[in-house]
Amino acid sequence: MSSMTHTEQLSVRSRRQIDGWRWTGRIFLAILLIFTVVPIAWMFITSLKTGFAAMQYPPQWWPAAPTLENYTRLLDTRDSVGQDFLRYFFNSMYVSVLTTILAILVAVPAAYAFSRFSFPGRTFLFFAVLMRNMFPAVVFLVPLFILMRVLGLVNTHGSLILTYLTFGLPLAIWLLKGFYDNIPIQLEQAARIDGATRFQAFFFIVMPLSTPGIIATAIYSFIGAWNEYIYAYTFLTRQDQMTLPVGIQRFFSENATDWPGLMAATFMMSVPVVVLFLVLQKYFVRALTEGAVKS
Amino acid sequence: MSSGQAIFTDGPGTAPRRPGLFSRMWKQRADYLYVLPAIIVMLIVIGYPIYYTIDLSFSRTPTTLKLSDKTFVGLQNYVAILTSPNFWKVTWQTLVWTVLSTIFAFGLGLGAALSLHREFAGRAFMRGLLLIPWVISAVAASYVWKWLYHSDFGAIGALMVQIGVTDEPINFIDNTRTSLYALIVVNVWKEFSFAMIMLMAGLQTVPESLLRAAQVDGANAWQRFWHVTWPHLSGVSMVTILLLVVQNFNSFIIPFVMTGGGPAGSTHIWITHIYEIAFQRQNWGAGAAYAVILFILMMILGIFYVRALTRGDATRAGT
Repeated sequence: MSSMTHTEQLSVRSRRQIDGWRWTGRIFLAILLIFTVVPIAWMFITSLKTGFAAMQYPPQWWPAAPTLENYTRLLDTRDSVGQDFLRYFFNSMYVSVLTTILAILVAVPAAYAFSRFSFPGRTFLFFAVLMRNMFPAVVFLVPLFILMRVLGLVNTHGSLILTYLTFGLPLAIWLLKGFYDNIPIQLEQAARIDGATRFQAFFFIVMPLSTPGIIATAIYSFIGAWNEYIYAYTFLTRQDQMTLPVGIQRFFSENATDWPGLMAATFMMSVPVVVLFLVLQKYFVRALTEGAVKS
Repeated sequence: MSSGQAIFTDGPGTAPRRPGLFSRMWKQRADYLYVLPAIIVMLIVIGYPIYYTIDLSFSRTPTTLKLSDKTFVGLQNYVAILTSPNFWKVTWQTLVWTVLSTIFAFGLGLGAALSLHREFAGRAFMRGLLLIPWVISAVAASYVWKWLYHSDFGAIGALMVQIGVTDEPINFIDNTRTSLYALIVVNVWKEFSFAMIMLMAGLQTVPESLLRAAQVDGANAWQRFWHVTWPHLSGVSMVTILLLVVQNFNSFIIPFVMTGGGPAGSTHIWITHIYEIAFQRQNWGAGAAYAVILFILMMILGIFYVRALTRGDATRAGT
């Protein structure tokens, strides 16, 4: 022991400490994972049960006779439940994809301008755009409903797309601005000197470099639109136009809730966004890193 | 942002004297084209509703929402809601909901971010799993938890009986004393990973060399966290907490879908209460008055939010 130098002793001590903290971290993570995953696992397990098997006490922690009938029914075009579910699914897809495309078309130029130009009112407008994040959807329900009536958009998917566009825009613009701020302006200057117009420099030089930001924006818009509930619940009254979050209420019909069917529907509803997010999560994390935490 | 500005303005070179506002606006009119689509959409869908809500809050409007029959009543709606006993009850529940949700979501998110910061096998996978609740819809989350809490066949109640915590299943969401807290658990479950992902991004700005230097100087793990890591996280923590507060204050789906504000109003928070007043009781004036008070609160928070968010920008732009 006496031959040990001061730094060696220090490193032994701090290593022991690090091990202690690392184990605390691991145990914490394990508990957190259980908290996170168990409800999702239970959603899936329930969806594999028959209505009878789900209504038992104590519950079957794993179904005695697992069945996919809830899923096959949802996807069966001859069954009325399946027809409705698939229609809601495609309505959701249609609204979400269109919202995403429009959000990018609107947010890209705006974010670029907020990043590059210094026109009067730039700061004010940027703040105004960000402020949108602060207001709850419910507050806009009545006036927007009336607005949609004026625009003739009630009971159309257009009313949802227009609404989703606005609440996705602030974050989209902010995320993309973070990307543009980090692209050296010299690249565009060089292009301008070589004779490119301002728009060409933007379109051919800056746009490709900001692809990760655009992907992140797209994920964000898509997930936001896919999951939205309040406006869809209020603006659409026709069954055949409903999107999934509203549509799956039909499982509460009559006197009893079909829990396994409902769980299968929520599972199917979650699959597209979870897959999309997991595949593209690195872009999203990167966008947040560059947008939220630069400086 | 400041260098090389001239090359990006389409007009002739900048004048020696600072030109007037309108001539600058005219000279840079092309710049506005880039933000115009965003501004138009925002104006229609945000500007008009705000104006309209303020108008409604000073009026008595028939339940049919026929605008021609609207009459001006001054502050009557405001007086009515502020003197109603429900107002304070709901406000208190909103505070409990917002504060507890924010504290727990931030705490769990910070713990997760710190635990996941170090590289290890399966890290990306774990991060992905933890993010699932945040990605799925709040409607799906509400139904799943409603089922977990189910009074007869719920997994949580059954599990508590099986491990011997209680003798018979506890009815969490039909009980006025536990319902709000049961919903807060769902809310924390849904949003803690948002805090996690923000803070993970923030942790990447902490210089590794500084942590190592502190370690060589004999700082223990807590000291390293408190004196090195935390100061680098304070900016992003500020933004995260503000966003969580705003989000929680504006929550709707979880209470609306799970309990509809019940039992006996015990899970009503501001937004569900506004929804009930306006859409279920058709008392548009009172609902709008609530909304206007909410606007003002949100504007105050919003100023902090924008300030926290653009701090980096301001220092760089030198304003």
